[in-house]
Amino acid sequence: MDFDLSAEQRDLAAAAADFFSSSASPARSRAMLDDRTLAPEPGHAALAGSGFAAITVPESAGGGGGSVLDLAVVAEQAGRVLAGPSLVTAARVAVLLAGDDAGLAELASGERRFAVVDDGAATLDAVGADTFLALAGDRLVRAEGVVTPGDPIDATRGLGMVALGEQRVIAEDVALRWRHAERVARVVLAAEDLGTAGRAVEIGVAYAQQRHAFGRAIGSYQAVKHALVDAYVEVEQLRSLVWWAAWAADEAPEELPLASAAAKAQAATALERAAETLIQVHGGIGFTWEHDAHLYWRRAKVDRFLLGDDVAAYDEVARLALDAASAPAREAVPQG
Amino acid sequence: MDFDDTPDEAAWRQQVRRFLEEHRSTLVDPATRHDVAAARARQALLYDHGYVGVTWPEAAGGRGGTPMQQAIVDQELARIGFPGLINLIGIGMCGPTVIVHGSEEQKERYLRRLLRAEDIWCQLFSEPASGSDLAALRTKAVQQEDGSWRISGQKVWTTLAHLADYGILLTRTDPDVAKHRGLTMFVVDMKAPGVTARPLRQMSGGAEFNEVFFDDVVIPDSERLGEVGQGWQVALTTLMSERLSLGGGGTEIGAGVDAAAAHLAARLGAQSADRQALVRQSFGRAYVSSLGTRYTGYRLLSALSKGALPGPEASAGKLAGTVAARQLSDLAVRALGPEAVFASTADGENLWQQSQAGLPGMAIAGGTNEVLRNVIGERVLGLPAEPRADKGVTFRESLAQSGS
Repeated sequence: MDFDLSAEQRDLAAAAADFFSSSASPARSRAMLDDRTLAPEPGHAALAGSGFAAITVPESAGGGGGSVLDLAVVAEQAGRVLAGPSLVTAARVAVLLAGDDAGLAELASGERRFAVVDDGAATLDAVGADTFLALAGDRLVRAEGVVTPGDPIDATRGLGMVALGEQRVIAEDVALRWRHAERVARVVLAAEDLGTAGRAVEIGVAYAQQRHAFGRAIGSYQAVKHALVDAYVEVEQLRSLVWWAAWAADEAPEELPLASAAAKAQAATALERAAETLIQVHGGIGFTWEHDAHLYWRRAKVDRFLLGDDVAAYDEVARLALDAASAPAREAVPQG
Repeated sequence: MDFDDTPDEAAWRQQVRRFLEEHRSTLVDPATRHDVAAARARQALLYDHGYVGVTWPEAAGGRGGTPMQQAIVDQELARIGFPGLINLIGIGMCGPTVIVHGSEEQKERYLRRLLRAEDIWCQLFSEPASGSDLAALRTKAVQQEDGSWRISGQKVWTTLAHLADYGILLTRTDPDVAKHRGLTMFVVDMKAPGVTARPLRQMSGGAEFNEVFFDDVVIPDSERLGEVGQGWQVALTTLMSERLSLGGGGTEIGAGVDAAAAHLAARLGAQSADRQALVRQSFGRAYVSSLGTRYTGYRLLSALSKGALPGPEASAGKLAGTVAARQLSDLAVRALGPEAVFASTADGENLWQQSQAGLPGMAIAGGTNEVLRNVIGERVLGLPAEPRADKGVTFRESLAQSGS
């Protein structure tokens, strides 16, 4: 067993950190709330140009030919600066269009702006999208659509309701593929949330070191220190679950249902805790419009509902674990 | 990244598994589960075949293996339901301290016997007036003219002291310097005149730990571990090892998440649909937390295998592990239905009731959750330490300040 990133993945993370920190910042998230004409940073074109969105697209279609774990490592960096559009959308589309090299090339080049529509739910990255994928029965359809943006909590997510227009069936019998795409998307969502939550804890720690009250740094008080530690421990557990789930997506598909549900659930819990702790540690400045704390909090309040909510994800984890426990012992008889 | 065994690890696992299957009846015999002589024999059997002290250096009687090999042994032992090594404190804490700070003669005399459970060891740190504030301990060691030391004082919460042959003992040798600087560590013969161990009954009804009295016990200077006044540094070696043995390496605290899942799965069907949904929600949360702790432990194990030392972040495993274990144990007790109010079921089962009564202690033993949060906050996150009222004064002055 070797549960660690490779040297190449560390290099990839460093390159992604450079790209996202120079092309996006949380300030854009705030600006988008005041000016609905603004797009998220780095934005569709720059993200496509970077090649990061197409990491999991095969090289034959102009992608990076990389793994879900590679993409997760990059997504963490995107999450740290509240980047958009989401790598979740790219990851999900790459799975859904498997085998459709023309469609994948449109994704990789950025020629089309895809979004994936779930029945009855708001669609991630719908704002600005021109091509929609949806499930009709067990067929995959590609459609045009009309987007009605909602009043945003977190505008960087580009959420809107989509009314599908003209549709074309592009693959049959895709129920399993659809489920797989959703699971991979949950892993990438959890990876973005890992970055957001980790950054929130960092900002909270920095403030607790610097802000003084009653003659000492507030981080020296256990009430403040322990709150930050609890948030940090949740984030580190999330990191472990994201890496495990991403590895499962690449190497151990039988572990993916449990791993992706666990990562999704933990992402919602860890990010909410980190964001709410961030606000609390800052006191009065923490709930102003001008401070960044609420921007991380907004991500938390929205992301917990994406790709099924955390309540559903915890329920799924429990069902899978209890089913496995009640199944007759499948353990291999020891050899030798 | 790869979660599968490497070819070497797979071969090792197969070797371990084959051995354990061969000796299964001896290793997990319910009739001798709590028998001390049988427990010593079980450990000796495992040691003689190379399955105890896997990571210890060969010169210390160990195998010179990797943390991953040790983890595989632990996993395979858990798989057959092995009740645990009797000399766990010795292997996890005392032995590693002797390896780093003991003389050649001490290593020769103690380590192999410790690994075979010919001698049982205990760790004599906490006192009635110093638990979390360990460096405030008062047990006194005074050097005699012949160089030997005379010990008087009291220790408490000492696991296995009533059975132990030896212990590592932290004492105060100089009250007139700051509290951390006046400490010295010894190996003490628990059968020496003047040592009295009295079992303390825990809230769970068990009596695995003790109060220990030292009435003018004499220890030769050759049994000192480390230099005079360096006892705190020696104790840090012990505590670093303790972190790993308590939940840091992905090992589970409590009866285990798989046991809880099986217990709930067998009983859930009898409950209403509403109730089942509530149970699943709570269980899902506890299960995710357990998985998070397990995989965080695997990350640590991978880092250790590449030569990293167990740092303060390993404390997070114990912290999160005790929280998850309490959630699981609580759900398992609830699933007993009307029988949940009794300490055992009509069939005489009490695993979850015992777990319920034992887990509050796990959040205290080996570092309270609050102390662990301080350690992580200060040494991992870099938050400033709490101001200390006893800073910059000698131990004697701090006693006077606190009026004791």
